[in-house]
Amino acid sequence: MEMQMDPLFLAWSYFRRRKFQPCSEICGQILETNPYDQAAWSLKTQVLTEMVYVDEVDVDQEGIAEMMLDDNAIAQVARPGTSMKLPGTSQGGGPSPAIRPMTQAGRPLSGFVRPSTQSGRPGTMEQAIRTPRTAHTARPVTSASGRFVRLGTASILTSPDGPFINLSRLNFTKYAQKPNLAKALFEYIFHHENDVKNALELAALATEHAQFKDWWWKVQLGKCYYRLGLYREAEKQFKSALKQQDMVDTFLYLAKVYIPLDQPITALTLLKQGLDHFPREVTLLTGIARIHEEMNNISSATEYYKEVLKQDNTHVEAIACIGSNHFYSDQPEIALRFYRRLLQMGVYNCELFNNLALCCFYAQQYDMTLSSFQRALSLATNDEEVADVWYNLGHVAVGIGDLNLAYQCLKLCLANNNNHAEAYNNLAVLEMRKGHTEQLHRCSKSEGCVPRSRGHVSPDQAAEATLRHPVNKTTEASAQPERTASILSVLSLSDTLGPPSYKPDILETPPPHTQSMIPLPLPTFRQEIDTTEF
Amino acid sequence: MPEVKSMFREVLPKQGQMSVEDVPAMVMCKPKLLPLKSVTLEKLEKMQREAQETIRQQEAAQREQQQQQKQ
Repeated sequence: MEMQMDPLFLAWSYFRRRKFQPCSEICGQILETNPYDQAAWSLKTQVLTEMVYVDEVDVDQEGIAEMMLDDNAIAQVARPGTSMKLPGTSQGGGPSPAIRPMTQAGRPLSGFVRPSTQSGRPGTMEQAIRTPRTAHTARPVTSASGRFVRLGTASILTSPDGPFINLSRLNFTKYAQKPNLAKALFEYIFHHENDVKNALELAALATEHAQFKDWWWKVQLGKCYYRLGLYREAEKQFKSALKQQDMVDTFLYLAKVYIPLDQPITALTLLKQGLDHFPREVTLLTGIARIHEEMNNISSATEYYKEVLKQDNTHVEAIACIGSNHFYSDQPEIALRFYRRLLQMGVYNCELFNNLALCCFYAQQYDMTLSSFQRALSLATNDEEVADVWYNLGHVAVGIGDLNLAYQCLKLCLANNNNHAEAYNNLAVLEMRKGHTEQLHRCSKSEGCVPRSRGHVSPDQAAEATLRHPVNKTTEASAQPERTASILSVLSLSDTLGPPSYKPDILETPPPHTQSMIPLPLPTFRQEIDTTEF
Repeated sequence: MPEVKSMFREVLPKQGQMSVEDVPAMVMCKPKLLPLKSVTLEKLEKMQREAQETIRQQEAAQREQQQQQKQ
């Protein structure tokens, strides 16, 4: 007869090796023979939690309702540099907004995307509603209809004999008195079931049982309050937990509370306090850098990301953000080195190869450009990524002067993602150069009806496509008075495009914006920086 | 190219006003670096895909069962 390993020990072994499925099955078998086996029960709750666990620091899924009907922010019209809602008000320097693509909220596109930065914070209700709810830019109506609830319902549907624990039948008071079981159970309810209300009840009972002396339960209470949108209560719990025990996580959670309250300065001070307790802690430094970046203070953000890299030279977020910052401040060669470093570290995906290709092209290493783009296309996992790669290929085609190729690239981009506003804009520019005013009209019109899903188009970028001729010469404009009006208003707003006027002081100012038909890659970049400044 | 320079000589008037018309030109949107995804985001997307996949499979199985019952 073969020797059998003790099933519970085997399950533990699977759990340690992160083989969750077999571990969960063995626990299920043990529980079938003995439903009161607490060790197996607790292990199974931990396994199920680990399967769906995501770091709570990173999680943030605000719904439209929370965002627009927001009564947490203290000042609706904040002073410059104290709010994250007014991205244009920083004095941080960094590349001009005409160079760096924007998110929908008007912030420069970061080099790294996290759940909370995924879709940006729309400025108006209209903008929020117009954002289409695709799988990629989905913003739920409220956080109660967000991604976690969808995942939760899926997990219920997929387990044939109902959920593992029937929460409505649990006697929380009983479990709250058993600290060892209660912590695992809490994490299961919070992460796996996403039932914040029940989790809160359990945590409240447990912290009472611990006579308010256990900082862990206070942090958990704070997490629950945060999820429920009760930020002030969450703040209280986290602060109380910090009094008992200094933890990096608690500092991060507390800083996170101040983000929806729109108090970035408080969050920064707090994170710096955290740095006093935990000097050079990478997560705290990253937190500071993220806040600076969200406040559009790119140069400070880069400083902190560099500090992060001094501690941890394989930090993907820091490398990617510094790389993209170098690229948009006209140093593609340095950006290339950062992205190459990522490649050496084993990052192997569509985004990285696309960035490498762009850096290669603008650093004039033409041999690698097309092969990198090819690899990016072959690694793309969805249509939006394919579209973005074709969009960038369109730039390469314009750079080498092959306008037909550029045209085809942009068309392919639009075939893959019909909402790619920038591609519409560039197509319109190409049509303009060919002198096809009619098609141009169609392009700009279709751009007008694009719901700006990806939304990296700022108002003046969009205006560029609608602008056809110098206003006073436009023949079509006279037929469409409201269009002329909009063009005129655009002209007065945009800094890049001054109204057509005679400039007697031309000798003092740099030469006017003269764009060649086929620009060489780097010079045009520099040129555009110059022209945006005056 | 020195010979080209000799062909076209620049003319800079020594007196009087000089004017240049500043023509607004169309500008292309800039090339876009794609942001890399965080581990959390990738895990979330993977979980979402898997959940959708299992639900789809279950629905297909259900439909098959119903068809068999009809027959």
